[in-house]
Amino acid sequence: MAKTIIDAHNVSKTFNPKTIPVHAVQDVHVHIEEGEFVALVGPSGSGKSTLLNMMGGLDEPTEGTVFIDGVEITKLSENKLIDFRLHNIGFVFQSFNLIPVLTAKENVGFVLQLQNMPKTEREKRVLALLEEVGLKDKINSRPGELSGGQQQRVAVARALASKPKIILADEPTANLDSKSAANLLDIMAKLNKEEKITFLFSTHDQRVIRKARRVITLVDGKIESDVEQTPS
Amino acid sequence: MLLKLAWLNIWRNKRRTIITATSVFFAVLLAIVFRSLTDGVYDNMIHNVVSYSSGYLQIHKKGYWDEQSIDNTFEEDDKLHQELLKNPEVTHIMPRLQTFALASWADKTKGVLVLGIDPIKEREVNNLHEKIVDGEYIESVNDNAVVLGEGLASQLKLKVNDTLVLLGQGYHASSAAAKFRVKGLIKLGALELNNNVVYMPIQQSQYMHGAENRLTSVSVMLDKATNLKKLKHSLQGSIASEAYEVMSWKEMMPEMDQFIEADSTGHYIIIGILYFIISFGLFGTLLMMVFERKHELGILIAIGMKKRLLAFVLLLESIMISLLGCFTGIIGGMLVVKWFTVYPIHLTGDLKEVYEDYGIESIIYFSSHEKIFITQTLIVLILSTLLAFYPGYKVMKLKPVEAINS
Ligand SMILES: Nc1ncnc2c1ncn2[C@@H]1O[C@H](COP(=O)(O)OP(=O)(O)O)[C@@H](O)[C@H]1O
Ligand SMILES: [Mg+2]
Repeated sequence: MAKTIIDAHNVSKTFNPKTIPVHAVQDVHVHIEEGEFVALVGPSGSGKSTLLNMMGGLDEPTEGTVFIDGVEITKLSENKLIDFRLHNIGFVFQSFNLIPVLTAKENVGFVLQLQNMPKTEREKRVLALLEEVGLKDKINSRPGELSGGQQQRVAVARALASKPKIILADEPTANLDSKSAANLLDIMAKLNKEEKITFLFSTHDQRVIRKARRVITLVDGKIESDVEQTPS
Repeated sequence: MLLKLAWLNIWRNKRRTIITATSVFFAVLLAIVFRSLTDGVYDNMIHNVVSYSSGYLQIHKKGYWDEQSIDNTFEEDDKLHQELLKNPEVTHIMPRLQTFALASWADKTKGVLVLGIDPIKEREVNNLHEKIVDGEYIESVNDNAVVLGEGLASQLKLKVNDTLVLLGQGYHASSAAAKFRVKGLIKLGALELNNNVVYMPIQQSQYMHGAENRLTSVSVMLDKATNLKKLKHSLQGSIASEAYEVMSWKEMMPEMDQFIEADSTGHYIIIGILYFIISFGLFGTLLMMVFERKHELGILIAIGMKKRLLAFVLLLESIMISLLGCFTGIIGGMLVVKWFTVYPIHLTGDLKEVYEDYGIESIIYFSSHEKIFITQTLIVLILSTLLAFYPGYKVMKLKPVEAINS
């Protein structure tokens, strides 16, 4: 049996509990195993971001527990959690993921530097990663000199850098044209297949959903369906 | 890496960084020039005053200061002179025999201060001979003549070449009496001296008082920049401390020290206000830097950067901006100060007269004491560190999700 990466139990999130409560996520169970390639779909406001943030330890659930690779992250102190994220979770956000003053190479290397990886080893890894996302010739470009799609690919390379257990991507293609979106998804799918990287990404783009092997659908903060599919 | 990141960050908004650094530049420049000017004026004033009076330091027989009598004198000692001159900061030493006497001319009598001096050594230090307004200056240690303060002479209604009779107490309760030709009249800025002083060649004075070879004090003149406390301490150790006491002008003329202290307080307040104003500018810039970069800071926390480390980067940014202004300010300040050390300001008109009336050189010198520059750097460094605490605190409180969504 494959290893469990995400195990979320009875997770709920209520915003503004004292004034006008918003039940963004309600009693959700999610179980994801190593090597899965999962899309979290649903209309805008259905709770995708909120759920992803809680699974990545960026936000605390009002109720429920989240285990990542067997560690109950909902119990960790703030500093431990930051450290846990550094070593175990890769993030790709919707846009402006990168530090604008650093080059692509430096952005990817930043995470490794936070982990105190020695310079030569770091440089090698950064180059390999940027090559993998097809940006070998852009290593010295700053984010402002890259297209949106290229920036997102650098963000994926950065998320990969620390060899995380999982990469969480919140609408990574939302600001991309369809060609760049397809390209990014192809790279993610390739990394998933070749490197066994587990991906959980949210989207409401049909063309992106098609690429997933499992689709969890959220409606009004609740899981409506959770199905396997053959990517096309 | 963090240094590089901080450095790149401060140049994201070039204009703002330059404006902020420029404000620090002007504050530091003004503070330095101002401090250098006021310190220079004080130093000059002290130098002038002590050269007529106590010297920077004075050596007495132990106990003299509390009981200033001719019986508390000590024998002139070459070894003491050598010991003092061994210190490179010591520029001159002036042996003196200082007593009180009754002076009379015709039907007038007055208590006077009799300063037995070495006229050659004295004039090297304070150009006493240039202050002669009538007659001539005494020439040697045994010239049989005296020079009087102009004020004293007019009180006694006495002129050059008249004969002054002095009556005082000699060594070991002997009586001291002598007649001297008045060789010159001298105009001194300090009224105390001008109205009371009789300068007498030291050997004549010793002879008159039956105190051959005895001195009440040796005054020590120093380089303006000397660290007085340190030198006093080292002298206390190097000369026989059982026999002598070493006193600084601050102890002998506490009023002048207090005046300078009080006067400086006003200057500190002005400089304080200056720094207070630039603190606002720097603080605003730092707040903007956090505010504008919230999204990015949120991402950095999300991908695993500790908040403390992030706060440290902001601290570096704050220090970099202010040091940029500080260092250029110091260089600018040094240039201005250097300029005025090479070309000091010569006062003219009324101000020149006021200065000269007080016996102070009518030239404004600037102090280029390194202490001034070090102090400004420290102030700016401390300010920028303190000011970085608030943005640091903001970072510590940052919630990654909220920050990323902003
Ligand atoms: N910080 C917040 N405060 C209050 N309500 C919020 C907050 N964040 C999200 N919500 C609400 O929670 C619900 C889910 O939002 P979100 O997770 O962003 O949905 P999605 O990512 O699927 O668009 C929405 O109704 C949204 O308005
Ligand atoms: Mg969302």
